Amino acid sequence: MPEVFIDGKRYEYEGEQRLLQFIQDQGMEVPFFCYHPSMTAPANCRQCMVKVGQPVKDRETGEYEKDEDGERVIRWFPKLQTSCNIMIADGMVVKTQETDDLVKRAQKDNLELILINHPLDCPICDQAGECPLQIQTYKYGPEGSRFEVKKVHKPKRVQLGPRVVLDAERCINCTRCTRFTEEISKTHQLTITSRGDKNYPTAAPGREFDDPYSLNTVDLCPVGALTSADFRFKARVWEMNQTPSIDISNGKGCNIDIWTRDNLVLRITPRFNEEVNDYWMPDEGREAYKRFNENRVSRPLQKLDNEQVNSSWNNAIATISEQVDGVDKKDVTIIASPHASVEENYILAKFASLLGMNPPVFTPHVEKGKGDGFLLTDDLAPNANGCRLLGFEEKSAAGIAAAVEKAKVVLLLSDHLADRGIITTDKLKDTFVAVFATNHSETTKNADLVVPITTAAEHAASYVNVDGRIQRTFPAKETKYSNRRLDLEMSEGRLDRYGTSFDNWITEENKIDCLPLWRFMSELAAYKGMENFAYTSGREIMDEIAAANDLFSGVSYEAMDEQSGITLDKTKTTVKL
Amino acid sequence: MEYEFTKEDLKEIEKIKAKYPEVMPATLPVLWVAQNRFGHVEPEVQRLVAKTLGLPEAHVHGVATFYTQYYKEKKGKYVLDVCTCLSCQLCGGYDILEHLEKTLGIKKGETTQDGKFTLNEVECLGACGYAPMLQITNDKYINNLTVEKTDKLIDMLKKDEEPEYEEIEMPLRKVK
Ligand code: SF4
Ligand code: FES
Repeated sequence: MPEVFIDGKRYEYEGEQRLLQFIQDQGMEVPFFCYHPSMTAPANCRQCMVKVGQPVKDRETGEYEKDEDGERVIRWFPKLQTSCNIMIADGMVVKTQETDDLVKRAQKDNLELILINHPLDCPICDQAGECPLQIQTYKYGPEGSRFEVKKVHKPKRVQLGPRVVLDAERCINCTRCTRFTEEISKTHQLTITSRGDKNYPTAAPGREFDDPYSLNTVDLCPVGALTSADFRFKARVWEMNQTPSIDISNGKGCNIDIWTRDNLVLRITPRFNEEVNDYWMPDEGREAYKRFNENRVSRPLQKLDNEQVNSSWNNAIATISEQVDGVDKKDVTIIASPHASVEENYILAKFASLLGMNPPVFTPHVEKGKGDGFLLTDDLAPNANGCRLLGFEEKSAAGIAAAVEKAKVVLLLSDHLADRGIITTDKLKDTFVAVFATNHSETTKNADLVVPITTAAEHAASYVNVDGRIQRTFPAKETKYSNRRLDLEMSEGRLDRYGTSFDNWITEENKIDCLPLWRFMSELAAYKGMENFAYTSGREIMDEIAAANDLFSGVSYEAMDEQSGITLDKTKTTVKL
Repeated sequence: MEYEFTKEDLKEIEKIKAKYPEVMPATLPVLWVAQNRFGHVEPEVQRLVAKTLGLPEAHVHGVATFYTQYYKEKKGKYVLDVCTCLSCQLCGGYDILEHLEKTLGIKKGETTQDGKFTLNEVECLGACGYAPMLQITNDKYINNLTVEKTDKLIDMLKKDEEPEYEEIEMPLRKVK
């Protein structure tokens, strides 16, 4: 197998590989800015310099030439090389900053050059704390600058598009953002204007940078030049908690990180998953963070004399129990939801079957033409395939409307059917409708009982995407009944761990008065005296599903965590409608 | 204002495109076609070039702004690029520039009211041997400038008489 020597250590490799990527894959480091594993490598930041040589071969014999100590004779490249765009070759010898002073010096001087016109405004810059330029300057940069004259000034606070703001002075012209629009989103909206020390990225004159994936450039930008118009100045990165999760705004199930502070979701960023979304996500998915904070149903609501009033959990339980018992079991319609997780849907189905009610039905939430073949899908719900795999009957909009009309009692799981125009609100008048919901809507407004349940940001639960891949979320945000320090699934941020009580402020209103559906249903089951129906976590529900349903065999939270999601049997998840 | 290429322009553009395996490299020569036609490559013209070549507007903009020889705004009919880089500076480049500023009644970087002249201060144009010098609209070099020679040039240009190409004898290598 071909070999390469890096800092005196021998490594074997296969196929074509970029030196910088290979070094990183071995867990070592070379500083860099412009390289990105998913894009071309123009090698324009010049930060990733290393020393490279090839052993000298005797042309006649094909043998490596040896010096008097018996070591291979190395012919070094006359100049340092950028490791990002050099491919490794058999026998190559590489020295990084760890073993070579010239490399160290080159990297330091390059940073000094890059910083000449950089404003060094880290204290007011959004990127600080997660800024490759800041981090690498600390690690490899010079301690000061010899440049003591006026810096070049460039445009600041340029609204490149509806979601992205540019500070051209911070830009180091790595062209990651322009390459993103050329190679990944393919809208070709950005270019570098001008040249020399005056250049910076921009859209064509009079045009907006309104790429549906524009916010990825904000993540890509290795400095604070591109910032999110929405997130700008809202929080310092080290104040937030970062929790892995799944995008619930469409059917693709992009892997994301949810960033919270004081139990408010402040932003959503993509998380790498080669199988699903690579490093990217659509802007729409990021906007969905608002759903976790705003307009939430907190505490059960009940209709009395045609007006919804705050109720209590006990009341909610008693009311549902009473209503369900008051009618023939066949007159209860249970509507499952592609917007809810596999676990929630399963719990509802199990409850129905134990009480001898009709099994749940559901209708997918599809908007034709929404998808783009990349990360946007026609399917606007994260878990339609989960409902299919659970064996629920898939109904058309009309079918659902008819089922609602026929029923005397409707239990509806977080699907805003009235808002989607599937049922009209007057159809809900004569029926008792209980909605398990996360957010207020026209549908909840017209319900007789609204039970607040947790969102994907508040529970650990799984969702099956359009490609039949099951992936799960982690609780990111506390509810009235959960606690970051006690729930081992929840992430703790720097402030949670090291802060004093003066650093951590807690706003009680940010914790929603809601329960995971399985906890509520368990309480309800206990009230009704049902046995074998007590669930405290999504984890145990998934274990139960995996044991009972062949289609989910082998699925567990551990397995999903290990493989960042599992692709299930595709044939069972095709759309029937 | 709506810009359109003429039939002849389009024919020429087709010829340019045929020279390259892809369209992208045609950007530079086609920008020249545009600048020769309209006298500048304002954003509107850049857009026309992009549309004609079927390339992203951002790309054409990036190329046009990279080179100072493309005029991104309307200029005078004659653009005078006066060199003030080292050799010209030592031989009186600034005097020529100031003289021109006075005669034309504009500052460097500006255009005369009648739209006839634009005056620029530029860096080395590679004619150090015959400094001081200036260049007219990306084209002819006027060398070994004196105040008198400059005045004569302005008078000619005012009458739209173009100066001849100047032939310079090199000390070690005879031209011709
Ligand atoms: S704005 Fe950021 S990503 Fe774009 S070229 Fe500048 S530094 Fe690179
Ligand atoms: S990462 Fe290699 S030159 Fe920028």
